Formats: sequence, structure tokens, C-alpha cells
Amino acid sequence: MSKPSLIRYAILLALIALWFLVTAMEWVKPIQLPPPAGLWAAWQADGSRFLDAFALTAAEIAVAILIAWPLGIGIGAVFGSLRAVSEAASAILGSLFAVPAIILYPLFIAWVGMGPESKVLFGVIAGFFPIALNTLSGVRQVDQSYVTMGRAMGASRLQVFYRVVLRLALPSVISGLRIGTALIMISVVVSEMLASFGGLGYMIAYHRTMFDTGHVYLGILMALLTVLTVNWLLSMLESHFSKWQERGAEL
Amino acid sequence: MRLSVLLGAQAGFFVLLAIVWESISRLELVDPRLLPSFLTVLGVLGDLLTQRDFLMDLGITGLEVGVAFIIAAPLGVSIGFLLGEKLFLGQILSPMFHFMLSVPQSIFLPIFMLLLGIGFLEKVVFGVTHAIFVIIVTTTAAVRSVPRDYVTVARTFGATPRQIYLRVYLPAMLPVVMTGLRLGMIFNIIGVLLAEMDASRAGIGRRLFSWGEGFQLDLLLAGILLVSALTIIINEVMRYCEHRAARGHVA
Amino acid sequence: MSSEVIRVENLSKMYSTREGDFHALDKLSFAIEEGGFVSIVGPSGCGKSTLLQLLTGLLEPTSGQVLIDGIEVRKPLPEKTGVMFQDATLLPWLTAEENVAFPLSLCGKDKKESQLRARDLLKLVGLGDFINHRPAELSGGMRQRVAIARGLVRDPRILLMDEPFAALDEQTRFKMGEELLWIWQETRKTILFITHGLTEAIYLSDTVLVMGTKPGRIIEVIPVDLPRPRTFEMIGSEFFGKARNRIWTLIQEETEA
Repeated sequence: MSKPSLIRYAILLALIALWFLVTAMEWVKPIQLPPPAGLWAAWQADGSRFLDAFALTAAEIAVAILIAWPLGIGIGAVFGSLRAVSEAASAILGSLFAVPAIILYPLFIAWVGMGPESKVLFGVIAGFFPIALNTLSGVRQVDQSYVTMGRAMGASRLQVFYRVVLRLALPSVISGLRIGTALIMISVVVSEMLASFGGLGYMIAYHRTMFDTGHVYLGILMALLTVLTVNWLLSMLESHFSKWQERGAEL
Repeated sequence: MRLSVLLGAQAGFFVLLAIVWESISRLELVDPRLLPSFLTVLGVLGDLLTQRDFLMDLGITGLEVGVAFIIAAPLGVSIGFLLGEKLFLGQILSPMFHFMLSVPQSIFLPIFMLLLGIGFLEKVVFGVTHAIFVIIVTTTAAVRSVPRDYVTVARTFGATPRQIYLRVYLPAMLPVVMTGLRLGMIFNIIGVLLAEMDASRAGIGRRLFSWGEGFQLDLLLAGILLVSALTIIINEVMRYCEHRAARGHVA
Repeated sequence: MSSEVIRVENLSKMYSTREGDFHALDKLSFAIEEGGFVSIVGPSGCGKSTLLQLLTGLLEPTSGQVLIDGIEVRKPLPEKTGVMFQDATLLPWLTAEENVAFPLSLCGKDKKESQLRARDLLKLVGLGDFINHRPAELSGGMRQRVAIARGLVRDPRILLMDEPFAALDEQTRFKMGEELLWIWQETRKTILFITHGLTEAIYLSDTVLVMGTKPGRIIEVIPVDLPRPRTFEMIGSEFFGKARNRIWTLIQEETEA
């Protein structure tokens, strides 16, 4: 292992040690930062409720992904391949992406209620933009000589699009999926925190008002681990599909 | 020329959006209680902008966002610059900041509320943590992107270290740093609005949330319109500065 | 039955731009015999690439026509013409073999058969040991060889090449030229070769067509009366020098006009 990464692990260990120390010495109030044992206690007390909440959140996330992925890739691919409008479409999507999606959440509550529907809707909106934007720019940046070559080899326009263009844009599409999916997951949890009757975010928010700090930190930890795991899986996928690209760039 | 076409397309899109919205509610395709017409909402927005306490709320949010940015920008740029310059330090810390950037900070909101209480300070600190990592990471990337040849050439002409910093590094880095600052600003706004929506006594985020809960959709939509317009304007202005800074740069 | 494989008759191409009509090609006519090797040289912007796009059927002429095997070209005819560009445009996620077989997979050919065919062709271009390498693992010259093999995979009678070796270094470029001549002799294809390199054009071809610019047209046909096989020494011969000077002067006059 290299020296810098050793030092990084040392810093991480030091932070965890600091957590033990600060809470053991009661330098902060337990209702602000629980000792590590507090998380364990919360798990023992309410583990099954946390798992139920997790299942609901995971289901909301899954539905949002099932909608946002095809929607984002579809719209991005269509506008990316329409050369005449792709630049304008990219600018419009880009400025819409700058609007904090969170301000739409109250609207979704008013429209579809506080149930899982509003979480899914919010997740879809939050995840859609990076997916569409990345797909669009990936498709747009495909070298036109590939299209010419494909056509000269007798491929139909559709064949060129599916077998050449989309495939060349894949690394960019997947990196959009990674960013978009992280946003979907976090938006679902955060919207549960703001207003809901269930889910991991609800558990976090409810126990914060009760000052069950161990529960709050446990909930956050669970949400965080979910996000990180999915993120990691998608980045594996990303590096798998961009391997040839990186090596190509080196030459 | 190119820029004006793009701006025209963007403006055209928003006008189209407004027309579609207006027609939907005029034709009563959806319940006007759920979607008041665009012109009605515009009228409500006009009223809002003359109300003292609404303007106070807007001002408070603006102040939180502003203070957070004034703290995050110089701090983030300095740390990023240091990490880019001091190679060993960069090797240790850069991956940590990259990691922090990939972790969605919104999820930590309850922790900030527990540690700092609910109020101005919590909003500002939350805004800072949203903004700072992207600023650090892009600044580090900016330093590393300055071609070594530029520095070598400047040295052979006898430039002093000070001159190298001010006349070579700074202008060469500027476009990338500006991108980081723009993204930092967007994240900062998201952070502050989210913190206000979750729990606060003032600010535009609180307003939006209570309008949503109270089914006051005309007010809610007016607020959404205003915040969207403001963030799009902030984003576009910063993007314009970015283009200006990038003028004359290759790639 | 004539032995002309390519026949270009009064071929013109106009583009309408905001500044008015632009005459890219004006009444081009020429023919290439079966098994011939013809090069086209000319100053930048003389419409060489437009000509190639017309020959492949990617563009429609404004007037005139292109006949391949007596058939008017209106769309790409991959079974009759193989194409190669300056950029190898290999698909980076496919191996050399899969890249060569790609045109076959587009028209739904049997996979096993395609594989064997691709392998044979890679052997022909001297890449028998690299069938499972991806483009990123190959040098620039090797990638162009894969592209040649891909151009040949549907066994077309014609190979159209648009500055195929322009991005390679001088030495590799010369070697690729030798290689191409060898492949040409082996396969008896008809080759139309577009290039910027005068030496390359004369060295490889039976005939060099010199194009002029504004509008693009053929200004001179230069037969290369050198015996085959060509050798490196011929480049220093009197004939070679004269031909090169002639073309150089023609192009020079075109760019100054």
C-alpha cells in the first residue's frame, strides 16, 4: 500500500478514535453526538423497524430508477443525435439543472400527497437531468467519422445509432447514471425527511424531534451505506466500460 | 452570434413552457386549484414582491447564501490551491475530498441541526459544506491543468515566483476555478433552501414549504417561479464570467 | 462488356450556403479499369473528400453520375466498394477480428463464417498474431491494416481510400504503401487512392489524376509508366522526378490562382 493511502487510513482511524474519545469524555452532549454504542443500542431496540423503513425507501428508489433511467437516456439520446438542436437542448437542460429541484417538492406534496408517490416523482425529477445531460453530450461528442464509416459500410441509420453511436457514448451515459442515481437515492431519503409517514428519512426526522440521537445517526449511516454501495457498483460498471477508452487516450 | 442564438433558444423554451402552462389551465385540463394559470401566478408574484415580510424572507435567504459563499469560496480555493501545489499533501487529501464530493451532503442535515441547533448559523454552515468540496476539487484540478511548459517558459524569461503566480498560474487556472465556484454556488443554494424547508422560522425555503402544506398553490408556484428565475440568472451570469475568463484559452 | 469498374460522368456537386452557391465539383469525368490503381492529388479544398462521398453513395450529385459495374450509385454499395479513411475508425470495444467482421454482422452473416473470413484477412495484412487485440493495443499502422482488412471483408471489387496513411509517420507510411501494393497484387482489387503525398501517389499508381480547385475539377491525367513491381530506387529516377515536378507545378499554380 502506498504511503499516502496509509496516512489516509490513519486519519480515518484517528477520526473514529476521536468519536470514541469525545463521547466518552462527554465533551459534547450525548443528544448532539451519541457514543458509537448508542448506534448499536438503537439497532437492538428498533432494528426491525429500521429494516422495514429501509425496504420502503429501497422500493421508492427502485421505482424512481426504473422511470428516470430510460427517460433520461431516451431524451438525451434523441436530442444528442439531432445535430441542429442538440446544443440548444443542452443549454436548456443545463439551466434547468441549475434550479434546485428541492423547491418543487412542496408542489409534489400538494399534487400527489405525502405518500411514496411524491418521493418517486421527486427522485425522478432530480435524477433525470444529469442522466439526460450526460447522454446528450456523450452522443453529441461521437466523432462524425464513425457515422460516415458506418454508413459507408452499409449500416442503416438505426444500426449506426444502436451499434456505433450509443455504444461510443456509453461511458458518458454510465457516468450520468452514477450521478443521477446518487441524486435519486438522496432525494428520496431527503423528501422522506421533509414530510412522510415512512421510510429511512422518516425514521431519521422523527427520531431527531424525539432527540433519540442514536437512532438519527443509525438512520443516516444506513442511508449513507446504501448510497455508497450503489455508487461503488456503478463506478465499477463505469470503469469496466471505459477501459478501452482510457487506454486509447494514452496512446 | 452563436451565444445569442443559444440565449434565444433558451428564452424561447421558457416562453413555450409558459404558453403550455397557461393553455392547460385555461382549457381546464387539470383542476385549476392544483395548477392556477400562469398569468394568475404572475400576478400573485407581483403582489408578493411588494410585501415587506416576504422581502424580508427573501433577504434572509439571500444573506445566508451570500455569507456561506463568502466563506466557502476563498477557503475552498485556498485549500484546493494548496492541494494542487503541495504534491504529497494532495496525494493524501485529494481522494478524501473527492469522496466527500461524491457523498450527498443533504443526508447530514439532521446532524447539523443536532450540533448547531436550528438557525442562521446552521443554514450558513450547511451551505458552506455543500459548496466547499466542489470548489476544492475543481481548484486542485485547475492547478494541475496548468501546463508545466508555461511555467518553464516564464522561468527562462526570468519571471519571479510572484510573477509566475500572478501572471501564469492565475490566468491559466481561472476558467476551471470559475466553473468550480459556479457549481459551488448552485450546491450552496440547494443546501440553504433544504435547511430552511426542513426546519426554520424564516427564509424563502420555509415559505415554499408552508405554502405547499397549506395547498396555497398560487403562492407556491409564484415562489417556485421566483427562485427558479433567480437561480437561473445567477447560474447564467456566472457561466458568462466563465466564458469571458476562458476566452483565448485552448480547449 | 467493358472492363471499366468505376465510371464518373460529368459529375457536379453544388452546395448552397448563406454566401451563395458553392461549386464543389464541376463536371468531373474519368474511368478506372478493372484492377487499376489510380491516385487523386490536389490542393486542399479541391473537393477530394466530396468526390469520395459521391463515390461511396453518401452524397447525391447535383448532376452527372457515378457508375460502379455499370450501376448508378445512389446509396452505399458495401458489397461492391470497401472504404477506408484517414482515421481508422475502429470500434474501440471490439477486437481486431470483431472489427474486421463488423460489416458482415451488419448484414446478418453467419458468425462462424465471418470469424474465419476476418482471420484470413488479418493474416493477409500481416496481423495474424493480433486477432484478439483491441485497437488501443495496436499501433497507428496496425490499426490502418485492420481498417484495410475491414474494407476487404465483403470482398468488394473496389477499394476507396481517403488519405489512409496521412496520419502515420514517414517510415510507417512507406511500409504501408508497400503492403498495400502487395495486397493489391494478391487480391486484384481496383483501388482509388486519395492523397496529399505526391511521392506516394506516383509510387503506388498506374495513373495520377491531378485536381484543381474552385471549382473542383480534373486538370491533368498523368500516366505513370514505371514497371511493376515498384522499387525504392525508382523514386530517384528521372521519370519520377519529372512527374513529381509537373504535379507540384500544377498544384502550385492552382493555389496561387
